[in-house]
Amino acid sequence: MSLSDLVLSIADNKQMLGLRYAEWATRAPSLEADIAAAAMGLDDLGHSRVLYGCLEPLGEDPRGPEREVDAGSIRSLPYFDEPWSEWGQFVAANSVLDTAFTVMIEACVGGSVEVLQHRLRKMLMEERYHFLHGRSWLRSGIDTGPLHRAWREAIEWFGPPDGETAQLYKDGRLSMGPAELQARLEERLESRVPEMTIDWKQWDPIRRRGRSGAVDERTFAMLRGLEEKRFAQAKEA
Amino acid sequence: MTRYRRVSGDAVEYEVFARKTRGDPLHQVGSVVAPDDDLAAAYARATYDEERWIEMAIVRKDDVIELWQPGESSET
Repeated sequence: MSLSDLVLSIADNKQMLGLRYAEWATRAPSLEADIAAAAMGLDDLGHSRVLYGCLEPLGEDPRGPEREVDAGSIRSLPYFDEPWSEWGQFVAANSVLDTAFTVMIEACVGGSVEVLQHRLRKMLMEERYHFLHGRSWLRSGIDTGPLHRAWREAIEWFGPPDGETAQLYKDGRLSMGPAELQARLEERLESRVPEMTIDWKQWDPIRRRGRSGAVDERTFAMLRGLEEKRFAQAKEA
Repeated sequence: MTRYRRVSGDAVEYEVFARKTRGDPLHQVGSVVAPDDDLAAAYARATYDEERWIEMAIVRKDDVIELWQPGESSET
């Protein structure tokens, strides 16, 4: 796992987070929350584009042709595999996972890699509003199910204590390793990680997740532009 | 106090102010309804961010002290 692999993971997760946010643009509990869902979705889709654009300057683009045919090659977390059916899932993702991605971006901006230092800084300003939104809704109370799941996937995504993320930290390319990332996330959310045991042997270091599975078929088709073609009018002969 | 029932508790109305250049005065661009300052800030930014404002601020509507209203005279 290289720094490019990590950046691609952030990009894929932000892309999926943006799409899942956007699905709630007409389903949130208030008109303001609808608009916020749409705006945050646009932000995260934009952030993913910036992150994909960093791969070439990093000198290594891990994206291969399999991404056109295999949904399992998209490096997003299990949390995004299926559309969310409850507002609580939105809030848990908005508060815990979105903040986890932000904390990792802070580690990139604070690290020694120039292209990440410069290109990712603006994201942190925009993410401030995602954080305020997520934290406020989190304080209003949600079920522990999606919340614990989001925490687990965030900690898994940071990686094992002695893995590649820790090595990137030791090398100075990231300003935080898994332990520091977790501490920063807990500090931001003013709460501790729920009790959990992570079996790192089951963890996929490329997709940064502990569970197999993939993005649902329809979303994957949309990512590849196939849904667009399905609705396009046939050309006249 | 202006209060609205919503899914999670009460919400209050906030006025949103913004300006495009340093020379412009802050002017009201709209309002949002939210249960706390954090969410109001997030909603204001999401709702009124289409233009390139250099400054945006929110204030609780109830914190605005009115001197007079339409139909009233400033002399009274």
